[in-house]
Order: sequence, then C-alpha cells, then structure tokens
Amino acid sequence: MKVLSEVRKYFANAFIIAELEMRKIRHDQTQIWVRMVQPALWLAIYGLAMSKLNAMSANIPAGLTYLQFMTPGVLAQSALFVAIFFGINVVWERDLGLLNKLLSTPASRSSIILGKALSAGVRGIFQAIAVIILAVILQVHLILNPLAILGTFVVIVLVSMCFSCVSMAIASLVKTRERMMGFGQVMTMPLFFASSAIYPISIMPSWIRPLAYVNPLTYSVDAMRDMLATGNLHSLPLDFAVIIATTILFLVLASLGLKKMIS
Amino acid sequence: MEEKAIVVQNLVKQYPKVRAVDDVSFSVDKGEIFGLLGPNGAGKTTTIRTLLTLIPPTSGETLIYNVNTAKNSEEVRRMCGYVPQDVSADGDLTAYENVLISAKLYGMPPKERKQRIQEVLNFLELTDREHDMVNTFSGGMMRRLEIAQALVNRPKVLFLDEPSIGLDPNARRIIWGLIKKLRDEFNTTIMMTTHDMGEADVLCDRIGIMNRGKLATLGKPEGLKAAVGGDIITINSNNPNCSLKLKELGYSAITDSADGNFDLIVNNGETLIPHLLEGLKAKGVVVESVSLKKPTLDDVFLKYTGARIEEGDTFAETRRARQSFTRRS
Ligand SMILES: Nc1ncnc2c1ncn2[C@@H]1O[C@H](COP(=O)(O)OP(=O)(O)OP(=O)(O)O)[C@@H](O)[C@H]1O
Ligand SMILES: [Mg+2]
Repeated sequence: MKVLSEVRKYFANAFIIAELEMRKIRHDQTQIWVRMVQPALWLAIYGLAMSKLNAMSANIPAGLTYLQFMTPGVLAQSALFVAIFFGINVVWERDLGLLNKLLSTPASRSSIILGKALSAGVRGIFQAIAVIILAVILQVHLILNPLAILGTFVVIVLVSMCFSCVSMAIASLVKTRERMMGFGQVMTMPLFFASSAIYPISIMPSWIRPLAYVNPLTYSVDAMRDMLATGNLHSLPLDFAVIIATTILFLVLASLGLKKMIS
Repeated sequence: MEEKAIVVQNLVKQYPKVRAVDDVSFSVDKGEIFGLLGPNGAGKTTTIRTLLTLIPPTSGETLIYNVNTAKNSEEVRRMCGYVPQDVSADGDLTAYENVLISAKLYGMPPKERKQRIQEVLNFLELTDREHDMVNTFSGGMMRRLEIAQALVNRPKVLFLDEPSIGLDPNARRIIWGLIKKLRDEFNTTIMMTTHDMGEADVLCDRIGIMNRGKLATLGKPEGLKAAVGGDIITINSNNPNCSLKLKELGYSAITDSADGNFDLIVNNGETLIPHLLEGLKAKGVVVESVSLKKPTLDDVFLKYTGARIEEGDTFAETRRARQSFTRRS
C-alpha cells in the first residue's frame, strides 16, 4: 500500500512539472510554430529531391517510395533536434534560481526530471502533427489508421523523452548554456546520420553501421516506419523495448545529475 | 526538553576551495524569528540550503521538528517553505499559476486548493494582479509572490533568504509587516538572513552573526547591543568645572574634549538624563545641549566581523539587480 501511494505521488509530481511547462507553452506558442519549419523543409525539399535519385529508391524496402520511407525518419529527426537541446532550459532555470525552488519542494529529483522529459514529449507531438499533415498534402501514401497514429505519437513522446534526458544528463556535467549549445550541435548530426532516418543502413559506410545499431533513433525510426509505411509489425516489440530501456537509463542518469547541478 | 523547531549541530560544509560553513551550532524555538546576519560569503545561504536538503553537509547534523534532514529529506521539505535569495518566481507564468503549481507540488488536496490560493494571494495583496504575467511585476511584487508560494502549504518553518533585498523602503516595510503577522497569527517559525541591521533589529527575536563560515555570536538584539557597551550620553557645557562636578555626582566622562563635550557611558540613558541634568543644575553647571546614542546592531556587527555592513550590502544589491535584469532580457 505504501509503495503504491509513493508511486502515485511520484507520477503525480511528474505530471505537475509537465503541467507547468505546458502552461508556459500556452502563454507563448511561437516556439511551437517556429519548430515546425525545419522538419517541413526536410520533407518538402530534401525528400522531394532525393526521391528522384534511383540509387536511393533501389535500396529501400521493396514497395516503398522514398517519401514513404523518409517520413518516419523526419518525424524522429524533428523530435531529436528539439530534445537534444532541452538541457539548455534546465541550465537556464538553474541560473535563474527556479531549479533551486523546485528542488526545495517535496517532489523527488527524478519526478522533476520525468516531468520535464514528458513536457519535451508533448512538444514533440505538435511537430509530429505538422509533419503528418504535410505528408498528406504531398500525397505521401501513409497508413493513417487511429492505431498507427497513436503508436506514432507514443514513439515520438518516448524518443523526445529519451533525448531530453540525454541532454539533461549532459547539462548536469557541463553546467553552462554555451557549452550545452555546443554539445547539442556536436551530437545531433552523428545521431541523425548514424540512423536509418533518411537512408537505409545497408548503404551506410560500413564502419558507421555498428553505431546505427546502438542508436535509439534507429529503433524509433524503425518502429514508426513499421506502423506508418510497411505495416509489417514484427520488429515492433524490440523497437519499443530498446527505446524504453534507453529512456529509463538516461532518466536515471539525469536524475543523479540534477543533484550535482545545484550543489 | 522542549522540542525545537530547528537544531543545527556542528554543521560543516566544505567546498573544494572554501569552508563555507565551519562548525556551526545553534537552535531555533518554535514560533521564533531567527536572523542570520553576516557579510557576503559568510555562509548564510549555504546554511539554509543544507537545512532544506538542497546540498548535503560535509559533516554535522541538522534537525527540523526532530526530523533528521539527512535521513528523511522529503518529510523535511514538506514542513518547510523557502524564499531563495535569487528571484525564483517563474516569469513565464501568471502569479496565480505560480502559486497553483506550488500548492500542487506540496500535495494540497484540490478541494482546499482554490480557497487557500486566494487566501495567500489576498494576504500578500496580489489579488488584483493574479492573472498578470509575472515578468511584468516589480521587485516588491515579485518578492511578495515568492512569499505567497512559500506560504501556500502553511509551512511550519519558513526560510527567508534576504527577504527585502533590493526593495524600496515602502516595499520593505510591507514585507516586515507580513513577517510579523505570520509569526503572530500562525506561530510560524521563521529563519531569515539579512544584511540590513534595521531589519534584523525590528524583526528578529534572536540573531546569530556569521563571519567566514563561523557563528561569531548569538543572542537577543538588546543583549548583543548591551554587550558592546552601554548608552552614550554626550553633554556639552562651557563650565570648566563640569568634569569635576560630574565626578562629584558619581559619573566619569570617558572623553573630556576642549570644546566642552563630555561622553558618559551609562545604562538606561533615557531615564538617567533628567536626574543628571537636575544634579548638574543644583551644582550650578549650565548644560548647553545633551544627546543620547544607543548602540546599534551595526556596532555589534562591527565588533564581531570587523566590517561595517554597508559595504557588503551594496554588492549584494547590485548582484540581485543584475540577476533580475538578465531574467527579463
Ligand atoms: N556551489 C559552490 N561551490 C563552491 N563554493 C561555493 C558554492 N556555493 C557557495 N560557495 C562559497 O561558500 C561561501 C559561502 O557562500 P554563501 O552563499 O553561503 O554566503 P552568504 O553568507 O549567503 O553570502 P551573501 O550575503 O553574498 O549571500 C562563499 O565563499 C562562496 O563562494
Ligand atoms: Mg546568501
């Protein structure tokens, strides 16, 4: 009984922290709109151009057009590019003294991290909606039944949570906004290129392939591709297992880091 | 022994380069307003932060209402309210939302919540601005909002880290009134830090003066002032025999300057002056003027830290002003 009420309190606190972030977004929605631009460009310009390339089309799974192949990749990319800089917010809040105040409440460290990660997840959903709408406009043929869309949102939330925790864990080590900005930039491209987001793993340089297999982004792209494009779901359990496990791992690391952050 | 609100025993906090808190021990009674006074870097904030379980102590033990802060940090945080030295209200939310989030994080049941939030906003006179964004608030309103956030869960112990720094005299007096009212009406135990001698004198039941991590002295303001020495009565008279006549009356002047000023150190100066003047008159000494100087906490502070407090004050003021500037831009 005691354990149960502790667990409930833990999640309740995480949701309150997420609510706090959501309320901020409600007061200032510009960031949501601005963040829709980049993934739109990837899909509408890069995607359309690349789909003309025969080499690319020859290597993607049979029966898929390049845009079908790439749309899940852009979904994952949009989540990654935003979440990886999430740590900057936390450093900023530390500098302002907001973090100090949050940590003086009864909420546990890790429920605060979980709440912040959840808010990153919700932000990701807005972009995902924009990408899916654009794909429909470009007449990309996607499987858009409610279950597939729901599944996609779950993956988007998880992948945003995962990389925002990575970012917060790094933030607790580097401790300044400027350095955090640098780290974010150094990390996004390797994570993005060493995944199956915009080309199949089979045509990657061979030395980078192992990296793609330990990259949680690969698994989230794969999960969304299964649900939205191929409809072949048998690798889904593995995909989810990998994403959830890495999210929990980095959640723990970021929570441990939070203590260092303010002392 | 009666249970104390706060007990600090041999607290030490060692940072790589400085010993921020160096073997400090004191206790605070329930319902007491306790002030920590000290120059910049004395270790006041560090002491509060260890009490609130924000940073682990290097050694020593701290209890809040008999709960060991190291062993049961969550329970400790649940009993306490905290107004940090730096601005801590969230500028991207409204005043109401700031207090709402605090109320939720302290686990206040939804039924009580609405009413309680209105109560604190009312208590801090913020009701007419409750739905305005906090980044449009003045420093005084911001501070009141932060106090509202700290009070919403009815803390048993309230920590105020320099509650009135950077505020104008009027805003300052409003905060002082609130602090007094809190203690008188709700018997809240309050631990505060300050650079402002007047503030410490007006508000605090007891004061600890910290310097370089150590607690230099501790006591009631009157006691501390008395320990520095008694009141000083300065008499001005042109009568060359004045010093002699004073001796005959049983007083000895510590100074006997050429311009006719005589300083006497006495206790209870204000009741003594009439007697003194009558005595001198009877002996035919005409007194031109008389003045009384009571020792201030500033004198106490000077004695124990070797510095006048004003020096530190301006620095901290600038820092706070700068911080509130960066958050707005
Ligand atoms: N995180 C930290 N790392 C290293 N040193 C620290 C840290 N925090 C505080 N210190 C040092 O500990 C000492 C005490 O700092 P503290 O903030 O407790 O002083 P204070 O009495 O609150 O001063 P002020 O009046 O300026 O607020 C200072 O020398 C400070 O530089
Ligand atoms: Mg301080």
